[in-house]
Amino acid sequence: MEVRRKFVQIEHKKWVLASLFVGMLLLLPMFFLFTKLFQVPSFDFFYLWDTLLLDYSFNTFYLILITSVFAIIFGVMPAWFVSNYDFKLRNFFDLVLYLPLAIPTYIMSFTYSDLLSYTGPLQFFLRKIFPDVAPYFNHDYLQIEVLGVLLGLALYPYVYTALRVSFSLIGSSYIDVAKNLGLSDVKMFFKVVLPLSKPALFSGLFLVVMEVLNEYGAVKYFGVNTYTAGIFRAWFSMGSENTAIQLACLLILLVGFILILERMTQKQSKFYYQTNTKQKPLTMPKLSTRVAIYMSCSVPFILGFLIPLIYILNNSIQQFMVVDFSRLFALSFNSIKVSFIASVFIILIALFFLYVEKISKLKLNTIITNITSLGYVIPGAVIGLAVILLFTQFPLFNNHLLVGSFFVLIYAYVFRFLAVGKSPIKSSLDKQPKAFEDTSKVLGVSSFKALRTIHLPLNKMALVIAFIVTFIDLLKELPITLILRPFNFDTLATQTYEFAVEEMLKASSIYSLMIIVIGSVLLILLKYITNKQIHAFRSF
Amino acid sequence: MKKLIYITAVILLFSSCSNNTKTSNEVNLYSQRHYDVDKMLFERFEELTGVKVNVVKANADELLERLKNEGENSPADLFVSVDAGKLHKATELGLLQKISNSSILDNISDDLEDKNGYWVPMTYRSRILVYSKERVQANELSTYTDLLNEKWKNRILVRSSSNAYNQALLSSIVANKGPEAASEWASKLVSNFARDPKGSDRDQVKAIAAGQGDVAIVNSYYIGLLLSSDDEEQFKAGDAVGVFFPNQGEGESGAHINISGIGLTQHAKNKENALKLIEFLTGVEAQTTYSNTSFEYAVNPNAKHSDIVSSWGDFRRDTLDLNLLGVHRDKAIEIFDNSGWK
Repeated sequence: MEVRRKFVQIEHKKWVLASLFVGMLLLLPMFFLFTKLFQVPSFDFFYLWDTLLLDYSFNTFYLILITSVFAIIFGVMPAWFVSNYDFKLRNFFDLVLYLPLAIPTYIMSFTYSDLLSYTGPLQFFLRKIFPDVAPYFNHDYLQIEVLGVLLGLALYPYVYTALRVSFSLIGSSYIDVAKNLGLSDVKMFFKVVLPLSKPALFSGLFLVVMEVLNEYGAVKYFGVNTYTAGIFRAWFSMGSENTAIQLACLLILLVGFILILERMTQKQSKFYYQTNTKQKPLTMPKLSTRVAIYMSCSVPFILGFLIPLIYILNNSIQQFMVVDFSRLFALSFNSIKVSFIASVFIILIALFFLYVEKISKLKLNTIITNITSLGYVIPGAVIGLAVILLFTQFPLFNNHLLVGSFFVLIYAYVFRFLAVGKSPIKSSLDKQPKAFEDTSKVLGVSSFKALRTIHLPLNKMALVIAFIVTFIDLLKELPITLILRPFNFDTLATQTYEFAVEEMLKASSIYSLMIIVIGSVLLILLKYITNKQIHAFRSF
Repeated sequence: MKKLIYITAVILLFSSCSNNTKTSNEVNLYSQRHYDVDKMLFERFEELTGVKVNVVKANADELLERLKNEGENSPADLFVSVDAGKLHKATELGLLQKISNSSILDNISDDLEDKNGYWVPMTYRSRILVYSKERVQANELSTYTDLLNEKWKNRILVRSSSNAYNQALLSSIVANKGPEAASEWASKLVSNFARDPKGSDRDQVKAIAAGQGDVAIVNSYYIGLLLSSDDEEQFKAGDAVGVFFPNQGEGESGAHINISGIGLTQHAKNKENALKLIEFLTGVEAQTTYSNTSFEYAVNPNAKHSDIVSSWGDFRRDTLDLNLLGVHRDKAIEIFDNSGWK
């Protein structure tokens, strides 16, 4: 009775119920994974632990460390310079520093390992021109450290994006006070600016870490045994899907734990800074600073985008005569189609979840919708497996042939990428005062109408941003598509990968180029929108 | 605007689902192979018979997982793998049915056939030794076991033990010589490695060209692919190495081989078309195409090998029952894990 009375007291029952229902529906794959977790007291698990897991965990940690360090090196300084200094090409750098996001990590690493290899252009050039120096460059570049740098190059834009917004929102008064107190620029940066931007830095790094944890193609090629590689080893090599699932669950729990921990520490040390103090005018840099600026802005751009792009472009041109353009367009259409549909669903569901979270205070609902975000940490192939289990064994679905349909593919995408679409919408919704809700309620406006007439227009930009970010991630998506795709269905990503694993990098180049081009166009659009937003925010 | 997007999405979604409508004259494959030559041959088959070939390509274990869970509902008629071990696993899981059509079996060399009749080989490849023409004489090489010799210290190149080709090779050693000998082989070989295992088979060849090691264990067709590459540097790497078939001496097992093979699924709904496709793929025309395009060995004795493949000469293959590659797989992986072969 108590429970019932409590439920009656909950506001917006229909909304909450609907949200709970959708949330549960999305959690079904996770539920299936966890039922397997307790199915067998696995002997394999202990075997794996003894022989490999320590090594795997250490490698993962080490790789995350290197990648994070380089993501910070490549991301933090440019974000600071672009936000605060006036220099030539500033707008150009602000645009292009995002672009490495358009290059999937596996393409980045395949490209560089070919560039640096003995038969690649660098060593070839040195052998031809400087035969004396060439031997010094004849190394084995497939090392975990090199992989860390490459992943850092591919992923630093997450850090850059987060900090770029944060840095430009820090008002000038903090900086003025710091300067008046006699802090040098460098000291001020470390003592004032960085601490203020800590949440942004962590949110950027969190995405970097998630991507590293999920990375499969590149780590396999580099022979680096990460935790995810261990999951696949258990599943593919040892043929024990239960062990693989147990390892995946452990990963989910671990990341979940870290998230809770992070939330708790954030709550403890929550402090607010005024964002809309006077806009700080851009500083004209000194000569020495200018050198630092150009160095720190151009290195990540050149290494992370320009070189791979030129290399892939060059390969594409060489292949131009033999490219099957009708196939290229068909695959581009496929990629765009599934990415588009899935992104739309993700945005709608994310908005719905967040809105319900905002208007109702039911804890359970918040918890469930938050758990759905954990789909982001599960390796794609494991999601594929979980979804197959769900749609072949769950009583409602098991008599229909759903696996291999677009519906299931899209469902898996939504489960995996919901978190990506959620975060921009969340931060936008969070900024809106509670007064909107109260006022509309007083005025007798229905929740749906409030959503449609108040929140949709106000958060329009956030929705577009969320759409673009999700779309780009989906465009690059590989493992889920491979395992769940319908007959004869290829995307740009699967085709690139199939050529690349056979080391037909040239043949793959036109397809990777297409991914990069579509991604870049969207990123440029994204940049344009976020710039407008920063301005709008300042003029509030 | 929002409405418009939403409506478009719904329409797109439904239109894409309706693509699945069945035409009866088709055959459905789950395939681990993603070579262009397969696509070429499927198109040729469609041209000849009017039967449409539908393919889902993914990792063998993922496909088996899908097949197993789909059960009776599975749309797949055929399962294709590049490893006899996986076909054996499919058999063990009860996913395949026997193929006894003489029109198919007559196409295939007797010693390559599945003894239990569940799968049919499409091509085979040998896991061979390649050596630096500069630093190694062919007569210094003899068997897989000889690679344990002191003289090869820091000179051996091979890819990771998570690779199915290496697992198959070690499984064959377990089958031929027993687990203890296999265990000794793996751990002693590790101490002769020139570097940690990484990259692909082609990378091992490139590493020889780069002087990082002298002898590599690779699949035969990769050499063909390098030699036929229009990239000068790739060609040079392929040209820098010699091909050696190990274990050819008297009383020795012969060079390890593995097959690409095809199995008819238990619940195949287009059985007739499926058998027609197998017959076509094992026929002389398709077999010759395989040899010329992907440099694999033809399983049909009447097919001609390409010039590159013939230039390596004839060799004696290990006649081990290839199902044993699947039987001993777990043991092989355990040995790998304990040997420190990454």
